[in-house]
Amino acid sequence: MVATIRLSVPGTLRYRPIAVRTVAEAARLVSGSIPRDPKNPATDPLAHDIRDPFDTSVVSAFMEIFNNIAIHAYQRKGGGTIEIEITPSQDAIVIEVKDDGRPFDLEHVVPLPADLDEESLPEGGMGIHIAKTMLDEMTYEPGPPNIWRLCKRLPATQVAVGRS
Amino acid sequence: MPAPFDVQRTNEETRLTIRGSLDINIASALADEIDKIVATKPSKVAVDLSALEVIDSSGVAALVKLYKGVRGGGGAIAIQGARDQPLAIFKLLRMDKVFNL
Repeated sequence: MVATIRLSVPGTLRYRPIAVRTVAEAARLVSGSIPRDPKNPATDPLAHDIRDPFDTSVVSAFMEIFNNIAIHAYQRKGGGTIEIEITPSQDAIVIEVKDDGRPFDLEHVVPLPADLDEESLPEGGMGIHIAKTMLDEMTYEPGPPNIWRLCKRLPATQVAVGRS
Repeated sequence: MPAPFDVQRTNEETRLTIRGSLDINIASALADEIDKIVATKPSKVAVDLSALEVIDSSGVAALVKLYKGVRGGGGAIAIQGARDQPLAIFKLLRMDKVFNL
């Protein structure tokens, strides 16, 4: 099962849920996780359901990258597209995200404070940290086009479980 | 669908319940509500996250702002019920200990 899913959305936050849901479903193809109680009509069928740790990691990281592009590359004004290529395989997912906005200065992201306490709780700069920590690999090539490559591997114990 | 968040005030506490997804598309509306809560200098705030499914960094930033605002005004704040993805995010950011989750 190696097939690439391609999605192109305008580079604004309005289209974020579409992209996030697509990524969540692609992650589920890899993890084999089962949506929560699909027969219960009380639950929103479109709600994110990402309890599986693999799905959690992939979706959490992707959300931050999408936010970053909409806010920094396209400055909340849109005017370009976000091209998303998702390649789920048996044991990993690779997501390539391209934009034509302003390049992002990844080197200058301030790390989280070493000793986190009430005083040092950060109110920003957490997105890149979340994405990086959640993934096995994250690379960024400034452009245009700017290219983010995200990779998450399924733990060996989970490979080939619950999938035909 | 229930509202993404609501605030209930009693004599004892101000209770903020957040449901579903607390992300960048909700965070600015929540930020206005948080400003209102902080402005009243509440003595006790409870944040109920038991119905929260997903959070992103802007959602975390909004909660940090509330936490700092309430504590800065001399109040107490308890963040309760975080689970699944939101709990994973708080742990990753090492905020679980500060927030006592």
